[in-house]
Amino acid sequence: MTTPKPPPGHFNILYFASAGSYTAKNVEALPAPLPLSELFGQLEERYKGIRQNVLDHSLVTINLAYVDVDGDEEGDETKKVVIQEGDEVAIIPPVSSG
Amino acid sequence: MTTEPPSEAPLEEAPASTTTAISHPDIYVALTHDLLNAQEIMDKVRSPEAGAIVLFAGTTRNNFAGKPVKELHYTSYLPLAISTLEKIAFAQKEKHSLNKIAIIHRLGVVPIGEESILIAVSSPHRKAAWEAGEETLEECKAKVEVWKREEFGGDEGGVWRANRDGQAGVRIS
Repeated sequence: MTTPKPPPGHFNILYFASAGSYTAKNVEALPAPLPLSELFGQLEERYKGIRQNVLDHSLVTINLAYVDVDGDEEGDETKKVVIQEGDEVAIIPPVSSG
Repeated sequence: MTTEPPSEAPLEEAPASTTTAISHPDIYVALTHDLLNAQEIMDKVRSPEAGAIVLFAGTTRNNFAGKPVKELHYTSYLPLAISTLEKIAFAQKEKHSLNKIAIIHRLGVVPIGEESILIAVSSPHRKAAWEAGEETLEECKAKVEVWKREEFGGDEGGVWRANRDGQAGVRIS
């Protein structure tokens, strides 16, 4: 399955494992730009309970690089990460290979 | 470095019979929907300099803490998982002065009793190979972006497992 390119003004967010089960989606496009610190709040609005059940135990990547969601909430204003149009964000629940 | 085929699918559910691999002269890592072949992975680390090859095969168990499991289903974030495998392989080769290292993980449905992961390492002497085999597996279980869903069959549905704490994730139906 190939992820469709997000429409203009949007970014793709990928939901793996429990995140995919909770949202009943593998991927969706959300409006960009979006400050990283607002991502979990926005997802909680769409999927009530996802924060406690999934996001609090998950990591986040932007374009295949891990980002620090918690640290970003209180960090230096000038260093705040903003998710941009065309970015690929992913919710990474605890892994279970092997 | 070669990637075959071009990894165009960041999400799982890729067509069956696909393998995404990265190989360097002494390193091979891959994710595949195919059956795993222990001989093939062992041959990837064969070396005239080596005095030992350690091969680890992880197989799918028919229960979790006594609860019967019908089959397992593995999914991955393909481009990230392959890159994490590559980093682990490089680090382990360096740390244990291995001759060669190969890691392959199976994706999709894996019936009970079949191999879900193979790790092969070669080194001049056996101690380093034993240790590297063990540590490589622990590193993979902690880091590689692959997820296991245990299917219980019937109306029970399944759960996403988490290696970190052994806890079941969100129940799916």
